[in-house]
Amino acid sequence: MTALPDVLPDVPPAELPARRRAPLWRLLRAEVRWIFRRPRTLVVLALLAVLPVITGVAVDLTLNGGGAPVDTGPPGAGPGASDGGPPIFVTMAASAFVLPLGSLMTLLMLMLPLTVAMASGDALAGEQSHGTLRGWLLAPVSRGRLLLVKSAGVLVVALVASGLVVASGMVTGLVLTGTDGLVSMSGTELSMGDVLWRLGVAVAWATFYLMAIGAVALAISAFTEHPMVVVVGVLGGLIVSVVLMQISALDWLHPYLLPSSLTSMVDLIRDPVSFDGLAEGAFRAGCYLVIGMSLAYARITTKDG
Amino acid sequence: MGPRTRALVAAGSGITVGIAGLALSSLPAGADDDPVLPAIGAEELVASTLAARAPAFAGVAELQNELGLPAVPGTEALDFEKVRVFHDGEESARVQVERQASELTFVKNADEAWAYDSQERTAKALTWDEDDAEAARGHAEAGMADPSQSAAEIIEQLRPTSDIAVDGTASVAGRAAYELVLTPKPSEKTLLREITVAIDEETRVPLRFDVFANGTSDPVLSLGFVELEIGAQDADLFEFTPPDGAKVETTEADDAVRTLEDTEDAGVGQRMTTVGTGWDTVVVGEAPVEGSVGDSGGDAGERGEDLDGLLQQIGTPVTGEFGSGTYVRIAVGGAVVTEDGRIAAGAVPRQVLVDALDGTVRQ
Repeated sequence: MTALPDVLPDVPPAELPARRRAPLWRLLRAEVRWIFRRPRTLVVLALLAVLPVITGVAVDLTLNGGGAPVDTGPPGAGPGASDGGPPIFVTMAASAFVLPLGSLMTLLMLMLPLTVAMASGDALAGEQSHGTLRGWLLAPVSRGRLLLVKSAGVLVVALVASGLVVASGMVTGLVLTGTDGLVSMSGTELSMGDVLWRLGVAVAWATFYLMAIGAVALAISAFTEHPMVVVVGVLGGLIVSVVLMQISALDWLHPYLLPSSLTSMVDLIRDPVSFDGLAEGAFRAGCYLVIGMSLAYARITTKDG
Repeated sequence: MGPRTRALVAAGSGITVGIAGLALSSLPAGADDDPVLPAIGAEELVASTLAARAPAFAGVAELQNELGLPAVPGTEALDFEKVRVFHDGEESARVQVERQASELTFVKNADEAWAYDSQERTAKALTWDEDDAEAARGHAEAGMADPSQSAAEIIEQLRPTSDIAVDGTASVAGRAAYELVLTPKPSEKTLLREITVAIDEETRVPLRFDVFANGTSDPVLSLGFVELEIGAQDADLFEFTPPDGAKVETTEADDAVRTLEDTEDAGVGQRMTTVGTGWDTVVVGEAPVEGSVGDSGGDAGERGEDLDGLLQQIGTPVTGEFGSGTYVRIAVGGAVVTEDGRIAAGAVPRQVLVDALDGTVRQ
């Protein structure tokens, strides 16, 4: 108690280092490196890369081996009835480029959100449970910048995951059906460049959609110290949304539910592409992003070390 | 401002903005006030509509189907929500019926018409000579999904048996339109109350039609544009080359009548006849039970059994001179499926269906 005043005058105030700010890019690099060093991240990414291959080979075997077309469910079954086996893959045999988009759409329902939720859970709740978040909170990094770095990490995961799915799907599709079968759903042949920009739009859109989920996940992550709660919360929310979407009496609620945007991704296989649905979906995702981020920010700025 | 207040403000405003945005996106578009337009007589409006030629435009139309049709094979024609329509102002049109994960594309130009089904991967072509151009037009299937075509068709068909009036104006797809109301004449034995058609003031193109049944205030069937942009369209839209790997069937227009009698065309109709005219038209034909769905031949029999079971659940038995059958009621009418595999359907009371079946038996 008495030693402290004795020590302090020894350091002249002018010699105190100026308030340092760690450069943002260094924080980002450290965060990304940290994420991709986790074995679970790598395992999930590997799984995501393999799934389009499995789907492609399975559909190829079913269509070419048995000769019978995949049953697409009873006729007259309205939209929303096809969540089980998307008939979109039936078109795949004709077009290599349906596989990457179809895989992306299917995986966007649960698997990709799971990946993002996992990353978000690790980002705040996970670090808190290990006690490593404390270091961040005490470091010369403002809370806003901390959230920025953490969101950027989640964004990288979302981008890599959806890019991986599309790339793996595209390669599989090209290997299985060749380059000359790039046909849109409207029956027009597409050039390779055409296909690539459509896939680019798909990846960008999927990343934004996943970032909306990631923002909500980060908000949950900021409130808890159990990463499991984040994953369960996000998946539970998505499953509840999908169930609500099946209930036609709740029509008025559907525009509020994030997964209602997913079907608009099919528009990218149509020719000419209509961007209305995608724009609406992106807007919806933007709303979720704002809600999630503001909640996460509110919590993280008031968090005690 | 302390960190706690700032956090509260951030959370509060973020949630408000986000939820307001979601609410905004859920608002139905086109809730504008009804425009004020110069008065017009009903006859004049009808005449100018039927004479009008669609300008070049691109539009998106939506279908609201509350008919309550059971999932019976043959009703796929109404199983969609959204359709995109392109016209070049001349002969050519492109209609894309969007289903959830597949698409029906109809492309029609001066020389040929194509119908491409991405789910079946079939492309059907219809070609014609100069002489058959008129006949061919009737067989180009796309018309039904295009509100501007189907509404004009409705007006033309129902004009002789309807009382026609202009009932105010409406704003459809951001365009000012007259509301034309067709009410069945008292002599018509129909379950329909009225059909309203919104007709664009400037171009006289029908933009939307709504079908109302007795005793309901919401339309049971509504097909109308939600977006319409008038202007020249890319000529490539009206050309179609079937992709590699698609099954291609080509028909000459004069053969088309014969093809209709073969299996798999529009789905519903083989050897269809109509009884009556106007509102109480009854369509009598073979019930679409086996093989007529046109796909997956293997389970057609199974579907037939499903259909019988379904009919027994939702229908009531009915007998008449024609024999016996099952009556199924839907929102705007009904259908009788007889035991010998015929079907009579129309927007009419049950007795009219029975009379129609009796009448065709006697022939």
